[in-house]
Amino acid sequence: MIQENLDLQGAQFLKRETAGLYEPHGSKSLGESAERSSKHNREIQAEIPHWQAWRAAANQIKDYAIANLDKLLVEFERNITARGATVLYAENAEEANRHVLRIAREHQVKTVVKAKSMVSEEMELNHKLEAAGIRALETDLGEYLVQLAGQRPVHIVTPALHLSAADVGRLFQEKLNEPFTDEHRRLTDIARRHLREDFVRADMGMSGVNFGVADTGTICVVENEGNAGLSTSAPKVHVALMGIEKVIPSIQHLPLFLNLLARSGTGQKLTTYTHLFHGSTPDRKLYVIILDNGRTNILKDPAARMALFCIRCGACLNTCPVYRRTGGWAYGWVYPGPIGSIITPHLLGLDKAGALPFASSLCGACAEACPVKIDIAHQLVHLRHRAVNEPSPVNSILERLVWKMWAWAMCGPIRYRLTMWAVRIGVRLVPFLPWHPGKLGAWTRGRKLPEVPKRPAFRAWWRKHGSEVQP
Amino acid sequence: MSSRDAILSRIRTSLAHDAERPLPPVPEVWPRENPTVEQMAGRFQRELEEVHGEVVRCAGMDEARAKLAELAAQESWDAIGAMDRPLCREVCTALGTDRPSWARADWTPQSMAALSAGVIEADCLLADTGTSMVACGRPEERLLCYLPPACVVVATADRLVEHLPAAWPAIAPRVADPQLRGEFVFITGPSRTADIEKILILGVHGPKRLIVLLT
Repeated sequence: MIQENLDLQGAQFLKRETAGLYEPHGSKSLGESAERSSKHNREIQAEIPHWQAWRAAANQIKDYAIANLDKLLVEFERNITARGATVLYAENAEEANRHVLRIAREHQVKTVVKAKSMVSEEMELNHKLEAAGIRALETDLGEYLVQLAGQRPVHIVTPALHLSAADVGRLFQEKLNEPFTDEHRRLTDIARRHLREDFVRADMGMSGVNFGVADTGTICVVENEGNAGLSTSAPKVHVALMGIEKVIPSIQHLPLFLNLLARSGTGQKLTTYTHLFHGSTPDRKLYVIILDNGRTNILKDPAARMALFCIRCGACLNTCPVYRRTGGWAYGWVYPGPIGSIITPHLLGLDKAGALPFASSLCGACAEACPVKIDIAHQLVHLRHRAVNEPSPVNSILERLVWKMWAWAMCGPIRYRLTMWAVRIGVRLVPFLPWHPGKLGAWTRGRKLPEVPKRPAFRAWWRKHGSEVQP
Repeated sequence: MSSRDAILSRIRTSLAHDAERPLPPVPEVWPRENPTVEQMAGRFQRELEEVHGEVVRCAGMDEARAKLAELAAQESWDAIGAMDRPLCREVCTALGTDRPSWARADWTPQSMAALSAGVIEADCLLADTGTSMVACGRPEERLLCYLPPACVVVATADRLVEHLPAAWPAIAPRVADPQLRGEFVFITGPSRTADIEKILILGVHGPKRLIVLLT
């Protein structure tokens, strides 16, 4: 895990969170794209008279799956092993990386082609493979761009949402020695040409898992570009990375989830390719690595369990007013947006990411958009409650002192008047300050203070008109 | 303790106080209109064209054969690979004796990269999404779906079903068969991306054209 990404505390987080706000171009195109996606998804969903019933059903099935997670994982493992696949469990990212490297060594792998996998981002897998002398190539176009640029994805479905066509043209010019172009068709063809070579030569392919079906031992992967199809069928070895929560009880439940995921993720009725993989064949070996990496922390907290229902569609990101302004990096780790604000503190610990649940206006748009009805806003409030009572960046002496003072001031008319008098004087002094210190400074540097009335406006009004107000 | 046992035991401890709950039923919320084959064929065509796929309706096998030969000549497909299935065999006969080449176990991804088109057979067509379900056993059959720049799907109209849930009673038992290997893939249009500025581009890694010959 890159060290800087773990630093989600205090000023560092604030700096990261506000960075996007001062880059009008980047943040504007990201916000507009996210908004377009969100609107498009709603139109596609509006065609379904049963949309709400679908969501409720999916929520119930996920609830069952998580409540029977141990049994379903064992059933999944038994059924997929019977089809010749090898299942490996990993407690954390490090162990998962060790599994991948061991498989790679066993099959003398030199090049790996990777389809999209959020779990592999958690593992920082590309760095680990490169360090072991193995070429690792992201093949999803967005992931490929982000990897070439040496960046992190800004979005879980469209990782390069922040790059303009001209940015991509410059990137290809610099990294691939291609003549500059900002035409989408030609840019896409350049990526196609370069990656084709690798698809047919690679010794190992990797993918994520959208759904692991327990009663049949099926792995389901959805995509649009064909890169997951190529990554999993061209090389002799396919390694699929799966979080423990990805298991669903029955093949009978799959059509429902496929419809919900496609319509909420990219606003399609069905993704271009929906793959169902059935184990190993003599010339194609399948490995499945099942990763915990903090997910069992969520199970420990009954009120937080719904965070494990997530099917990674990205709808809550697109609809979130905070995400639209800040972009994905502000959230500091693999999972951005509202769902990131509830998953990251569980997976990394509140002490590291306890500030994230506060980066929300609690407007609730995310919960409305969620196809599996995760009550994201309530989850955020729950985590805020925990963050102020457990070791976390927001549980500081200063923070507690401020709230104590606030509570004192609010609990008596004289105290209240006294405080307001002091605040009025204080605020009027701000423009004369030679410097703007600390977190308050971040506010005053970018904004004009409103005019402060000389006298308490409401009290003055009440003295004049109070008698006219009907009780 | 192995990682497997450690993870499972942590899960069990956390779930220890959970009440038993029944397996949720498959929700009966799918609208069913039971359309005719002709209605489904029309819907299939509209939906697939919406996602930039192409549908060629053929009155019979002879027309399908002629259409494929015409396409091959028009697009100068010099190397065509095809699944070795009865329907593919029938449709490909007009292409000439040396063509196409039938998918074989000694094909490698490198050798297949030279193919200009792949001919595959759909087991089932979903009308309301324009989707073709292709059951691929061997890796070279799978690669035929993704590697050549053009993908021709052949299917008969009696394989049309209303939508995914309507197709499921036939598909689910096949998926549940422990002897099954390889891949079932649901293909809805040509390969596409919108990763640069959300602008739709067809044919990024997979086929640039998807043509369904529907007889």
